Amino acid sequence: MQQAPAKKKKKIRVPRVVNGVETMVEIEIDDEGGPGWGSNDKHALLNHHLRRVDGPLKVSGIAEYTYDKQAPGMLYGRLLRSPHAHARVLKIDVTAAQRISGVKAVISITDKPAPDASGAGTKPAEPRDTIVNFAGEPVAAVAADTPEIAGDAIRAIKVDYEVLPHVVRADDALKEEAPKVYPEGNLEQRDSQGFATKVAAAWEKCDVVLEAEYRTPIIHHACLETHGHMIDYRGGDTATVYASTQGTFTIPGDAAKELGLMESNVTAIVEHMGGGFGSKFGIGVEGALACRLAKQAKAPVKLMLTRQDEFLLAGNRSGSWQKFKAGVNKDGSLVALQALQYQLGGLGDGSQAGQPYIYNAANRYRERFAIHTNEDSSRAMRAPGHPQASYAIECLMDDLAYKIGMDPVEFRKKNLTDKVYHRQLDSGAREIGWDRRNQTPGSANGPLKRGMGCGIGTWGGGGGPQCKVDVTIARDGSVMVAVGTQDLGTGTRTYTRAIVAEELGLQLTDVIEKIGNSTLGAANASGGSTTSASLAPAVKVAANKARMAMAEQLAPLLGSVKPEEISFANGKVTGGGKSLSWRQAAAALPAAGVTARGEWRADLAASGVHGVCFAEVEVDVETGRVRPIKMVHVQDIGLPLNRLATESQINGGMIQSLGMALWEGRVMDAKLGIQLNPGFGDYKLPGCAEMPELVAIIDDEDKREAVIGVGEPSIIPSVGALANAVFNACGVRVHDLPLTPDKILMALTNGRTTA
Amino acid sequence: MTDDSNEDKKKGDDAGGSYDASRRRFLKGVGIAGAGAAFADHLLADAQAKAPANGPASSVAGPVEIMLEINGQKRSVRVEPRTTLLNTLRNHLDPPLTGPKLVCDMGTCGACTVLLEDKPVYSCLVLAVDAVGKKITTVEGLGSAENPNPVQSAFVDKDALMCGFCTPGFVTTISAYLKKNPNPTLQDVCEACKGNFCRCGTYPRVFAAALTAAQAQTGHD
Repeated sequence: MQQAPAKKKKKIRVPRVVNGVETMVEIEIDDEGGPGWGSNDKHALLNHHLRRVDGPLKVSGIAEYTYDKQAPGMLYGRLLRSPHAHARVLKIDVTAAQRISGVKAVISITDKPAPDASGAGTKPAEPRDTIVNFAGEPVAAVAADTPEIAGDAIRAIKVDYEVLPHVVRADDALKEEAPKVYPEGNLEQRDSQGFATKVAAAWEKCDVVLEAEYRTPIIHHACLETHGHMIDYRGGDTATVYASTQGTFTIPGDAAKELGLMESNVTAIVEHMGGGFGSKFGIGVEGALACRLAKQAKAPVKLMLTRQDEFLLAGNRSGSWQKFKAGVNKDGSLVALQALQYQLGGLGDGSQAGQPYIYNAANRYRERFAIHTNEDSSRAMRAPGHPQASYAIECLMDDLAYKIGMDPVEFRKKNLTDKVYHRQLDSGAREIGWDRRNQTPGSANGPLKRGMGCGIGTWGGGGGPQCKVDVTIARDGSVMVAVGTQDLGTGTRTYTRAIVAEELGLQLTDVIEKIGNSTLGAANASGGSTTSASLAPAVKVAANKARMAMAEQLAPLLGSVKPEEISFANGKVTGGGKSLSWRQAAAALPAAGVTARGEWRADLAASGVHGVCFAEVEVDVETGRVRPIKMVHVQDIGLPLNRLATESQINGGMIQSLGMALWEGRVMDAKLGIQLNPGFGDYKLPGCAEMPELVAIIDDEDKREAVIGVGEPSIIPSVGALANAVFNACGVRVHDLPLTPDKILMALTNGRTTA
Repeated sequence: MTDDSNEDKKKGDDAGGSYDASRRRFLKGVGIAGAGAAFADHLLADAQAKAPANGPASSVAGPVEIMLEINGQKRSVRVEPRTTLLNTLRNHLDPPLTGPKLVCDMGTCGACTVLLEDKPVYSCLVLAVDAVGKKITTVEGLGSAENPNPVQSAFVDKDALMCGFCTPGFVTTISAYLKKNPNPTLQDVCEACKGNFCRCGTYPRVFAAALTAAQAQTGHD
């Protein structure tokens, strides 16, 4: 074999995502050329409205989710949660539970570690952590023949607690006498940026100085398919884990550790999954307990969280509390901005983009802190930290704009250098009819007052070199694209298929995709909107390589033609003046067909997106009720792989932001330390009745011929847009979300217009 | 309507001729089933604790063999009386029917919607034993991937689904509604779907699919 020439290398910066939180890292990659995507408006399939390929399975109820999986002899798992926010577990008595007929395994956090299964001797018994730190923390788990019996067993377990002091509200956690959630205390500095002294010196130069604070509560992912797994393990060396996860490859390692197996002997399967929104990476405590139950029972165990479990222990979007002092000049330039940002992530750190977010301020200083409480740890949730930061700064920008009597759109443009935002602001303003807005907030006649507002967001959404994709063209003409990635409902299956079909000149129905299996080619977890930007380039490269391999086989048959001159289009392979149908062409392949593996190429992906939202609402100033009327979201995305799915996702972002702005919020009882609304009856999700007119606009002025993820950006700017629309409608600012009637009425009564 | 019985609820609906999918109305209708579940649960826990061989509660606690008529087929199944219709379909039938999804298990989300005598109900709030002798239709009985009903086709055409976990519930609710009201307005459809939640945010396209399906159906009729 001839030695391949050394490849040229180049350094690029790519986003890396750890549990949904994005950081940029520099990596070195091969600098190899290759086919690009071509012009965004010259695609046969991509950038068109493609029906999702898993649609027929899902609408007919036969798509199998993790929750639907069964296996012979399978048991149903269930968790017992602590009812106390902070307590020492003194004793757990499981004997009554074990006696119930049909109960096959019971475990608890006070169990002694099991003897080492390898027989290499028993590990020294380690003391188990028997302190629970939030109401909802699992203390025991059972597996039984039916979910009903598992419920009986849970109720039969007796736990003695020594209740310890707790704190569940950020304001309380800052008090000196507050119980300490961590030995170091409840306040933890994350970072600081800018120059406090410069900001302090700048106030006197400002025409107007404003102080304001804004709060957002903890909100929930509320994935309709709860977290959970079906652990198909009956003893022995191998296991299959069906997981409702955003990362196929985040499962085997975790599960292998719990089951005491080799990671490569555990297969994870994620055929379809019912929503994650950032909360589903790794097996989590519920998966670890399911593995232990399966190991004890030597039988498959399906443990899906109950809806209440899901609210109490499966993560959430951290709340926020942001205090600003900002100064502007009459010409609209932001002279100084100081921000104190608290991230309310319970036991976790929470997340919050740094202020002043996207805006320029001549002098700026910010500090970020985490305030800890006895609540389950926050997790990544769709654009972690961004809706909170965007909401607050957008409210502040509006308050400042009105204070100096400037059009809020013009005020924003004045403080934004990136012209993409200017273009998107113009486009959104046109669509909503910005000229119709109240020049003076609250000035409309009558009790039903309409108002408009806008907001802006940004996100990375780039890709990285994790995916390995295999494309196989068989002699019978069938085409298979295989990669272990997962489809969260974002349309991964559909574009994976479409990229291959387009490259080979075929239709969507001519290609089959195989995904959601950890024995297939590696893929990244879906966090940070990095799936498409990581996967699509690898699929494109694999498809192109398969095409070239096929062309090389066909070139001699077609006569004097070079492989790269052979065209693949409209189900035909054409070259050298001859044309073959796809089937004829495939029949000329060797018996094994052709297979090619593709990996990521940096030039096929990009990162950095802009999004602008405009909202119109109607506020009933007699009842305080807000009715959303219309929302417009303008989003750039590079090459939209599938316009239909992209628009759906943008709609979804707007709808979720409606929930965050108007209805959703975890309500805690400070004294008991428990959540008062852990269910859909009391935690208000956006529903059919509240739907406004939604307009999703893909910003086609973005000519980047590169793939960028767009799952997250569409939830960012609309929260601020809605809050500003409410302000514009009724003329009073409510400073904490959600904007429920009680708060609006209170603000109207107090007649406050700004902080 | 002064009584909570299912019988009265049905009569009331027929007499009014209007469709009311509101949760309160629904809960009222299944009040007895819900209470029954709690009651049976209690008895069973007692029975288990005392573990009597032939105690007074054993006749309530043990599994019973029942016959259900699901999607036009008679299916025999052994379940405890406290088992919901949803769990019976999903966990006890062989092969199971997992189209109806378990999402909240307390009648708040609509993902488990099935048709009982052609009327949408939350199957997590109906006991299997109460469904004996009634015609049960699940999403699988409305059409198949190869042979979808007009609502299912329209859902795919209009991209009325993302993760798809709420989809069977919406498809079932809308399929039943269009039989009652073949020419709905957007407002009608929105009203009919009020008992179903979606988290991905597909509502506008669900409404569009319902209207498209209505057009397709009346076009065929």
